[in-house]
Amino acid sequence: MKIEKILYPTKFRELAFNALESLLTLKEVGLKEVILYYVIPREEVGFVPYGGYLKEEEERIREEARIRFEDWQKTLSANGIGSKIIIEVGEPVANILRIAEKERVDLIVVGRKKRTGTEKPFVGSRTLQIITRSKIPALVSKYMVQFEWDGEMVTRLNDDIFRRPLLATDWSEPSERALETLASFNGLIEKAFVCHVICVKISKGLDKSELYRIERESKERLEDYCKRLKASGIEAEPHLGAGRTPLEIIRISRELKASMIIMGTTGKDRLHEIWLGSVSHRIVEISELPTLLVP
Amino acid sequence: MRKILFSAGLFLLIPLSPAFAGGQYPNIGETLPLYSVIPFVGMLLSIALFPLLAPKFWHHHFGKVSAFWAVVIAVPLLISYKGTAVYEILHIVLADYVPFIILLGALYTVSGGILLKGTLTGTPVVNTTMLTIGTLLASWMGTAGAAMLLIRPFLRANAHRKNRAFMVVFFIFLVANIGGSLTPLGDPPLFLGFLRGVPFFWTFNLLFPMLIAAGMLLILYFILDTYFYKKEGIVSPPDNETKEPIRLEGSHNFIFLAGIIGAVLMSGMAKWGEVSILGIHRGIQDVVRDGLLILMAVLSMIFTPKVVREDNAFTWFPIKEVAILFIGIFLTMIPCLKILQAGAKGELAFIISAVREPVHYFWITGSLSAFLDNAPTYLTFLSTAMGGFYPGIPESQAVALLIKENPIYLLAISVGAVFFGAVTYIGNAPNFMVRSIAEEAGTPMPSFFGYMLKYSFPILLIVFVLITLIFFI
Repeated sequence: MKIEKILYPTKFRELAFNALESLLTLKEVGLKEVILYYVIPREEVGFVPYGGYLKEEEERIREEARIRFEDWQKTLSANGIGSKIIIEVGEPVANILRIAEKERVDLIVVGRKKRTGTEKPFVGSRTLQIITRSKIPALVSKYMVQFEWDGEMVTRLNDDIFRRPLLATDWSEPSERALETLASFNGLIEKAFVCHVICVKISKGLDKSELYRIERESKERLEDYCKRLKASGIEAEPHLGAGRTPLEIIRISRELKASMIIMGTTGKDRLHEIWLGSVSHRIVEISELPTLLVP
Repeated sequence: MRKILFSAGLFLLIPLSPAFAGGQYPNIGETLPLYSVIPFVGMLLSIALFPLLAPKFWHHHFGKVSAFWAVVIAVPLLISYKGTAVYEILHIVLADYVPFIILLGALYTVSGGILLKGTLTGTPVVNTTMLTIGTLLASWMGTAGAAMLLIRPFLRANAHRKNRAFMVVFFIFLVANIGGSLTPLGDPPLFLGFLRGVPFFWTFNLLFPMLIAAGMLLILYFILDTYFYKKEGIVSPPDNETKEPIRLEGSHNFIFLAGIIGAVLMSGMAKWGEVSILGIHRGIQDVVRDGLLILMAVLSMIFTPKVVREDNAFTWFPIKEVAILFIGIFLTMIPCLKILQAGAKGELAFIISAVREPVHYFWITGSLSAFLDNAPTYLTFLSTAMGGFYPGIPESQAVALLIKENPIYLLAISVGAVFFGAVTYIGNAPNFMVRSIAEEAGTPMPSFFGYMLKYSFPILLIVFVLITLIFFI
């Protein structure tokens, strides 16, 4: 699955442009167009109590966004990438999902481009809503993050995200599609990693022979994934983990010095997510790495 | 003495001696000074003037303005009247404000889950039909609910039309105001009357004024729309888009709407005793009603797909705004209501003696409702009528006596408050919501004064004169 068209919604926060620049390497693997998208939150300009609508304010914000986008377009154009500016008034989450489907984009890029301080998680509720509901792959960009590592605050710049991607698989259909997406990045990847975690919920209470069988099967499947990547020209390395899935994936990603995490996501509904949790969403929240979720 | 203490409290905000030695919760309206209504006037003028003079400031700071006026009245009241002031504040919050916001919130939530989809083409017949349906629905799902349900389909249907402003203006006249006359659910002032003891079905007395006003406006609208339709030279509807059949999504919300109507009706008929909440006696049936209304809203949220609300552009912002502004209105309103209820013994006796006839009530309630929000204006003049006819009598008894002996006065107040809400953008909360949605959709709406001079004065005032001649003289 090739990434030819990206939707890049932004609030013009710090480093938003740098984060976009870091994605321009996708041109080498087929990127043709970027949709630069800004949503003016309806509440910013509408429903003035007893007053109606701030038309002039909308025009001002619209013009500001247009000027900034046109500046960005120069860089895109210089890199041979086409672009389109869309500025709308609305509700950001709903509008982003709607425009992504309408424009038939291959990837939505969401998330803060700079996250500093000790607050967790790394993403906000709007980003979580988008990745939960999107039927299109979504890259949660974390261009610059600050996080705790061995008791110290570390600042990390995620500016070469396709170099050492880690695919975390649960053998589901979305994981298969995530594998295809990863294969489409051939040419940008130095080395890829594929991991699977035998979840503590599964391993608990199993006798050893059954556990060995699962381990053997998992290793075979990991090898199969790696072979398929190698067939696409990507060097890949399998890793099997065990324990609490999200934490184990993060441990592996750090040990391997991965540059991003790619996962399939089943798009569970909100209720299911509250009760059972979602590994992919947990990873998005707590990993310092950019995360590409493929539904 | 109390007036001196109050004035000191209001303007210096200094602690006062516990001099009050009256009985338990006496009518403070007899001792409150006239200037204790200043925060109420300030609150209403803020709502009227800030959106015109400093809309951006108002948009971002209306909560602080509301809090300011609330504090300006609450602090001196509490200092001067202590336990009595605590009682009055808790009473208006628990017995009026909370049920009021719960009802508005429930109607807003449930109606926001109903989405009218499909291709409608804005011809004079289709538009008049939509306005008629909206007018009929408004009494049962609230003016805000009916407006939210229909305004976007109405605007979409007329996107190809050149002259659209007059359509939205008539929408405000009919769906956002006059249509809400028939039940306490229709328009906030009527629900406040219901909370004060006006029976649920009493508002059906507004049927004939409503039919006359709505009938005249719909006929006029049809004539105007036909004129513009021909002038615009539209031969056939645009057919460059694929036509979608008309359908309702989230129609299960009508069940929750029926639940809301049932709950309000029940609370007006049942008498299950009383319960004390923070020292305020409330009917158990009223507490159950509020619980049921919240339940209906919650069920609507759970069972309505998110995408339906998104397609409706549903947002909590307007209801939050109303909740924030109305806590200020309700608190600052206390002295005004109390003084009026004191009748000839209060500082506003001159108003009570000046407003005597039904025609006075209709026009004065109406005129003020046009420029101030109609809900507090309704309560103010209901109190004026009660203070004039039954001074010193407990409110629930006074309302019952007013309905029994002088119903024409209540009719004049109700019709005035509901109908005149359409005269300006600030007369009723749904007006500004409709204006905002129309402007966002690219319909150039008239300015505040343009709306009055071009539309509401020449059209509505003629209708109101006729209503006066038929019903109030």
